[in-house]
Amino acid sequence: MNLEEAIQHTQQLSGRWIMPILLHLKSSGGRFTPLQKQLQISPSRLSDNFSRLVSKQIVKRLSPYERRHPLLPEYELTEYGELLFVITQCLQKAEETIEAGPLHRKSWTWPLMISLYHDYTRFQSLQRLLGNPSPRILSMRLNELCDLKLVKKEITEQPSLRYTYQLEDRLYPIVDMLWGELLKIEIIQ
Amino acid sequence: MYKPGLTIWYNVKSFERSVKYFTEGLGFSLDFKDEDQGIAIVTTNTKDCCIGFAESETVVPVTSSAVFEVEDIDLAFSELKKKGIQFTGDIEVIPGFVKLATFQDPDGHSFELSQTIVD
Repeated sequence: MNLEEAIQHTQQLSGRWIMPILLHLKSSGGRFTPLQKQLQISPSRLSDNFSRLVSKQIVKRLSPYERRHPLLPEYELTEYGELLFVITQCLQKAEETIEAGPLHRKSWTWPLMISLYHDYTRFQSLQRLLGNPSPRILSMRLNELCDLKLVKKEITEQPSLRYTYQLEDRLYPIVDMLWGELLKIEIIQ
Repeated sequence: MYKPGLTIWYNVKSFERSVKYFTEGLGFSLDFKDEDQGIAIVTTNTKDCCIGFAESETVVPVTSSAVFEVEDIDLAFSELKKKGIQFTGDIEVIPGFVKLATFQDPDGHSFELSQTIVD
Protein backbone atom coordinates (compact mmCIF):
# COMPACT_ATOMS: atom_id res chain seq x y z
CA MET A 1 0.00 0.00 0.00
CA ASN A 2 1.47 3.33 -0.95
CA LEU A 3 0.84 6.69 0.70
CA GLU A 4 -1.89 7.78 -1.73
CA GLU A 5 -3.77 4.51 -1.22
CA ALA A 6 -3.47 4.79 2.56
CA ILE A 7 -4.87 8.33 2.40
CA GLN A 8 -7.74 7.22 0.19
CA HIS A 9 -8.65 4.21 2.35
CA THR A 10 -8.41 5.98 5.70
CA GLN A 11 -10.51 8.87 4.36
CA GLN A 12 -13.06 6.31 3.19
CA LEU A 13 -13.30 5.08 6.79
CA SER A 14 -13.93 8.49 8.32
CA GLY A 15 -17.28 9.19 9.89
CA ARG A 16 -19.26 8.25 12.96
CA TRP A 17 -20.45 4.81 11.90
CA ILE A 18 -18.33 3.33 9.08
CA MET A 19 -15.62 1.82 11.29
CA PRO A 20 -18.03 0.48 13.96
CA ILE A 21 -20.18 -1.12 11.25
CA LEU A 22 -17.20 -2.79 9.60
CA LEU A 23 -15.81 -3.93 12.94
CA HIS A 24 -19.08 -5.50 14.11
CA LEU A 25 -20.62 -6.74 10.87
CA LYS A 26 -19.17 -10.24 11.14
CA SER A 27 -19.81 -10.67 14.86
CA SER A 28 -23.47 -9.75 14.30
CA GLY A 29 -23.76 -12.50 11.71
CA GLY A 30 -24.19 -9.90 8.97
CA ARG A 31 -27.77 -9.33 10.10
CA PHE A 32 -29.34 -5.91 10.45
CA THR A 33 -31.11 -6.22 13.82
CA PRO A 34 -28.25 -7.70 15.88
CA LEU A 35 -25.89 -5.06 14.46
CA GLN A 36 -28.38 -2.29 15.18
CA LYS A 37 -28.77 -3.47 18.79
CA GLN A 38 -25.01 -3.88 19.20
CA LEU A 39 -24.20 -0.40 17.94
CA GLN A 40 -27.23 1.29 19.54
CA ILE A 41 -27.89 3.06 16.25
CA SER A 42 -31.32 3.98 14.92
CA PRO A 43 -32.62 1.66 12.17
CA SER A 44 -32.94 4.49 9.65
CA ARG A 45 -29.40 5.68 10.28
CA LEU A 46 -28.01 2.16 9.96
CA SER A 47 -30.00 1.70 6.80
CA ASP A 48 -28.59 4.95 5.34
CA ASN A 49 -25.07 3.92 6.25
CA PHE A 50 -25.54 0.53 4.63
CA SER A 51 -26.82 2.19 1.46
CA ARG A 52 -23.68 4.32 1.35
CA LEU A 53 -21.45 1.28 1.98
CA VAL A 54 -23.22 -0.64 -0.78
CA SER A 55 -22.88 2.25 -3.24
CA LYS A 56 -19.15 2.42 -2.47
CA GLN A 57 -18.91 -1.36 -2.99
CA ILE A 58 -17.60 -1.90 0.53
CA VAL A 59 -20.52 -4.09 1.52
CA LYS A 60 -22.81 -6.31 -0.50
CA ARG A 61 -26.53 -6.44 0.27
CA LEU A 62 -27.95 -9.94 -0.13
CA SER A 63 -31.50 -9.97 -1.43
CA PRO A 64 -34.11 -12.11 0.33
CA TYR A 65 -33.88 -14.43 -2.68
CA GLU A 66 -30.13 -14.88 -2.25
CA ARG A 67 -30.43 -15.72 1.45
CA ARG A 68 -31.23 -19.37 2.00
CA HIS A 69 -32.37 -18.85 5.58
CA PRO A 70 -33.63 -15.83 7.55
CA LEU A 71 -30.78 -16.28 10.02
CA LEU A 72 -28.11 -15.99 7.33
CA PRO A 73 -26.35 -12.65 6.62
CA GLU A 74 -28.19 -9.78 5.00
CA TYR A 75 -24.92 -7.99 4.37
CA GLU A 76 -21.38 -9.18 3.74
CA LEU A 77 -18.06 -7.47 3.09
CA THR A 78 -16.85 -7.26 -0.48
CA GLU A 79 -13.18 -7.86 -1.27
CA TYR A 80 -12.63 -4.11 -0.87
CA GLY A 81 -14.64 -4.22 2.36
CA GLU A 82 -12.36 -6.97 3.68
CA LEU A 83 -9.36 -4.75 2.96
CA LEU A 84 -10.99 -1.82 4.77
CA PHE A 85 -11.90 -4.14 7.66
CA VAL A 86 -8.21 -4.96 8.19
CA ILE A 87 -7.29 -1.26 7.98
CA THR A 88 -10.08 -0.51 10.46
CA GLN A 89 -8.58 -2.95 12.95
CA CYS A 90 -5.19 -1.21 12.59
CA LEU A 91 -6.72 2.25 13.07
CA GLN A 92 -8.70 1.11 16.09
CA LYS A 93 -5.59 -0.28 17.71
CA ALA A 94 -3.72 2.98 17.04
CA GLU A 95 -6.61 5.06 18.44
CA GLU A 96 -6.64 2.97 21.61
CA THR A 97 -2.93 3.59 22.05
CA ILE A 98 -3.23 7.33 21.35
CA GLU A 99 -6.05 7.69 23.90
CA ALA A 100 -7.53 10.79 22.29
CA GLY A 101 -10.91 9.34 21.45
CA PRO A 102 -12.33 8.10 18.16
CA LEU A 103 -10.20 10.10 15.73
CA HIS A 104 -11.80 8.39 12.73
CA ARG A 105 -15.07 10.23 13.29
CA LYS A 106 -13.84 13.39 11.62
CA SER A 107 -12.88 13.45 7.97
CA TRP A 108 -9.25 13.99 7.06
CA THR A 109 -7.92 13.31 10.55
CA TRP A 110 -6.19 10.02 9.74
CA PRO A 111 -5.11 11.07 6.24
CA LEU A 112 -3.53 14.15 7.82
CA MET A 113 -1.70 12.20 10.51
CA ILE A 114 -0.35 9.72 7.96
CA SER A 115 0.72 12.57 5.69
CA LEU A 116 2.49 14.36 8.54
CA TYR A 117 4.27 11.12 9.37
CA HIS A 118 5.53 11.14 5.78
CA ASP A 119 7.03 14.62 6.26
CA TYR A 120 4.40 16.63 4.46
CA THR A 121 4.67 19.51 6.87
CA ARG A 122 3.37 22.55 5.02
CA PHE A 123 -0.27 23.46 4.57
CA GLN A 124 -0.14 23.68 0.77
CA SER A 125 1.74 20.41 0.39
CA LEU A 126 -0.75 18.67 2.66
CA GLN A 127 -3.65 20.13 0.73
CA ARG A 128 -2.21 18.96 -2.61
CA LEU A 129 -1.44 15.48 -1.29
CA LEU A 130 -4.96 15.05 0.08
CA GLY A 131 -6.57 15.99 -3.22
CA ASN A 132 -7.40 19.59 -2.45
CA PRO A 133 -9.94 19.54 0.38
CA SER A 134 -11.15 23.04 1.22
CA PRO A 135 -8.60 25.16 3.12
CA ARG A 136 -11.23 25.81 5.77
CA ILE A 137 -11.79 22.15 6.64
CA LEU A 138 -8.08 21.38 6.50
CA SER A 139 -7.24 24.29 8.75
CA MET A 140 -9.99 23.29 11.17
CA ARG A 141 -8.71 19.70 11.38
CA LEU A 142 -5.11 20.79 11.90
CA ASN A 143 -6.16 23.15 14.68
CA GLU A 144 -8.19 20.37 16.33
CA LEU A 145 -5.19 18.05 16.17
CA CYS A 146 -3.07 20.80 17.72
CA ASP A 147 -5.67 21.28 20.48
CA LEU A 148 -5.55 17.53 21.15
CA LYS A 149 -1.76 17.83 21.39
CA LEU A 150 -1.30 15.32 18.60
CA VAL A 151 0.20 17.83 16.20
CA LYS A 152 2.44 20.83 16.80
CA LYS A 153 2.41 23.99 14.72
CA GLU A 154 5.70 25.79 14.37
CA ILE A 155 6.84 28.99 12.76
CA THR A 156 10.04 29.00 10.78
CA GLU A 157 11.59 32.26 9.72
CA GLN A 158 14.07 31.07 7.09
CA PRO A 159 13.99 31.34 4.15
CA SER A 160 10.67 33.12 4.70
CA LEU A 161 8.09 33.20 7.45
CA ARG A 162 5.95 30.07 7.27
CA TYR A 163 4.02 27.63 9.42
CA THR A 164 4.86 23.96 9.50
CA TYR A 165 2.99 21.11 11.13
CA GLN A 166 4.50 18.05 12.73
CA LEU A 167 3.28 15.07 14.69
CA GLU A 168 3.98 15.37 18.40
CA ASP A 169 6.90 13.20 19.43
CA ARG A 170 4.75 10.70 21.29
CA LEU A 171 2.72 10.07 18.11
CA TYR A 172 5.65 9.05 15.92
CA PRO A 173 6.15 5.49 17.24
CA ILE A 174 2.38 4.88 17.15
CA VAL A 175 1.92 6.07 13.58
CA ASP A 176 5.16 4.33 12.66
CA MET A 177 3.70 1.05 13.93
CA LEU A 178 0.42 1.75 12.11
CA TRP A 179 2.28 2.42 8.89
CA GLY A 180 4.20 -0.83 9.28
CA GLU A 181 0.92 -2.68 9.66
CA LEU A 182 -0.61 -0.93 6.64
CA LEU A 183 2.41 -1.94 4.57
CA LYS A 184 1.94 -5.56 5.66
CA ILE A 185 -1.67 -5.52 4.44
CA GLU A 186 -0.40 -5.10 0.89
CA ILE A 187 1.68 -8.27 1.29
CA ILE A 188 -1.33 -10.20 2.66
CA GLN A 189 -3.57 -8.96 -0.15
CA MET B 1 -32.76 -40.47 8.78
CA TYR B 2 -35.32 -37.89 9.85
CA LYS B 3 -36.63 -37.26 13.31
CA PRO B 4 -39.94 -35.61 14.15
CA GLY B 5 -39.73 -31.86 13.81
CA LEU B 6 -40.49 -29.14 11.34
CA THR B 7 -39.68 -25.45 11.59
CA ILE B 8 -40.65 -22.87 9.04
CA TRP B 9 -38.64 -19.65 9.20
CA TYR B 10 -39.84 -16.26 8.04
CA ASN B 11 -38.20 -12.89 7.63
CA VAL B 12 -40.25 -10.32 9.52
CA LYS B 13 -40.07 -6.60 10.20
CA SER B 14 -40.68 -6.96 13.93
CA PHE B 15 -40.36 -10.27 15.73
CA GLU B 16 -42.35 -8.88 18.68
CA ARG B 17 -45.26 -7.97 16.43
CA SER B 18 -45.13 -11.46 14.89
CA VAL B 19 -44.99 -13.17 18.29
CA LYS B 20 -48.02 -11.17 19.43
CA TYR B 21 -49.92 -12.09 16.27
CA PHE B 22 -49.13 -15.80 16.48
CA THR B 23 -49.66 -16.16 20.23
CA GLU B 24 -52.47 -13.75 21.09
CA GLY B 25 -54.09 -13.92 17.65
CA LEU B 26 -53.69 -17.51 16.55
CA GLY B 27 -53.26 -19.04 20.00
CA PHE B 28 -49.85 -20.66 19.59
CA SER B 29 -47.25 -20.57 22.34
CA LEU B 30 -43.96 -18.74 22.52
CA ASP B 31 -41.07 -21.17 22.65
CA PHE B 32 -38.04 -18.91 22.49
CA LYS B 33 -37.05 -15.35 21.85
CA ASP B 34 -33.80 -13.39 21.69
CA GLU B 35 -34.24 -9.64 21.61
CA ASP B 36 -30.62 -8.89 20.76
CA GLN B 37 -30.77 -11.20 17.76
CA GLY B 38 -34.31 -10.20 16.84
CA ILE B 39 -35.48 -13.80 16.59
CA ALA B 40 -38.28 -15.89 18.08
CA ILE B 41 -39.87 -19.30 17.71
CA VAL B 42 -43.47 -20.23 18.42
CA THR B 43 -44.74 -23.77 18.74
CA THR B 44 -47.88 -24.57 16.79
CA ASN B 45 -50.67 -26.87 17.88
CA THR B 46 -48.80 -29.73 16.20
CA LYS B 47 -46.02 -31.27 18.28
CA ASP B 48 -42.51 -30.40 17.08
CA CYS B 49 -43.87 -28.11 14.39
CA CYS B 50 -42.65 -24.57 14.95
CA ILE B 51 -42.53 -21.23 13.23
CA GLY B 52 -39.39 -19.12 13.47
CA PHE B 53 -39.16 -15.38 12.93
CA ALA B 54 -36.01 -13.43 12.23
CA GLU B 55 -36.05 -9.67 11.83
CA SER B 56 -34.76 -8.49 8.53
CA GLU B 57 -34.30 -5.08 6.95
CA THR B 58 -36.01 -6.28 3.79
CA VAL B 59 -39.02 -8.55 3.92
CA VAL B 60 -40.52 -10.20 0.87
CA PRO B 61 -43.88 -11.82 1.64
CA VAL B 62 -43.95 -15.55 1.06
CA THR B 63 -46.89 -16.62 -1.06
CA SER B 64 -46.64 -20.38 -0.50
CA SER B 65 -48.87 -21.17 2.44
CA ALA B 66 -48.20 -22.94 5.69
CA VAL B 67 -51.50 -24.68 6.32
CA PHE B 68 -52.98 -25.37 9.75
CA GLU B 69 -55.47 -28.21 9.99
CA VAL B 70 -58.66 -27.47 11.92
CA GLU B 71 -61.60 -29.61 13.02
CA ASP B 72 -64.30 -27.10 12.09
CA ILE B 73 -63.24 -24.35 9.73
CA ASP B 74 -66.43 -22.29 10.16
CA LEU B 75 -65.93 -22.18 13.91
CA ALA B 76 -62.20 -21.45 13.64
CA PHE B 77 -62.88 -18.76 11.01
CA SER B 78 -65.29 -16.86 13.26
CA GLU B 79 -63.23 -17.36 16.44
CA LEU B 80 -60.03 -16.09 14.85
CA LYS B 81 -61.84 -13.17 13.24
CA LYS B 82 -62.92 -12.10 16.73
CA LYS B 83 -59.25 -12.13 17.74
CA GLY B 84 -58.35 -9.77 14.92
CA ILE B 85 -57.14 -12.19 12.25
CA GLN B 86 -58.07 -10.72 8.89
CA PHE B 87 -58.91 -13.34 6.28
CA THR B 88 -58.53 -12.87 2.57
CA GLY B 89 -62.08 -13.43 1.40
CA ASP B 90 -64.42 -16.15 2.59
CA ILE B 91 -63.96 -19.85 3.11
CA GLU B 92 -63.23 -21.55 -0.19
CA VAL B 93 -64.22 -25.09 -0.98
CA ILE B 94 -62.33 -27.51 -3.18
CA PRO B 95 -65.08 -30.11 -3.69
CA GLY B 96 -64.34 -33.54 -2.31
CA PHE B 97 -61.03 -32.39 -0.91
CA VAL B 98 -60.76 -29.46 1.52
CA LYS B 99 -62.24 -26.22 2.78
CA LEU B 100 -59.69 -23.40 3.00
CA ALA B 101 -59.50 -20.01 4.66
CA THR B 102 -56.55 -17.81 3.77
CA PHE B 103 -55.01 -15.06 5.86
CA GLN B 104 -51.82 -13.04 5.90
CA ASP B 105 -49.64 -12.23 8.87
CA PRO B 106 -48.52 -8.61 9.55
CA ASP B 107 -45.66 -9.01 7.04
CA GLY B 108 -47.91 -10.33 4.31
CA HIS B 109 -46.82 -13.97 4.53
CA SER B 110 -49.65 -16.28 3.51
CA PHE B 111 -51.17 -18.87 5.82
CA GLU B 112 -54.25 -21.04 5.61
CA LEU B 113 -56.70 -22.95 7.73
CA SER B 114 -57.77 -26.23 6.23
CA GLN B 115 -60.54 -28.69 7.00
CA THR B 116 -60.47 -31.97 5.20
CA ILE B 117 -63.81 -32.82 3.66
CA VAL B 118 -64.92 -36.26 4.72
CA ASP B 119 -67.57 -37.83 2.47
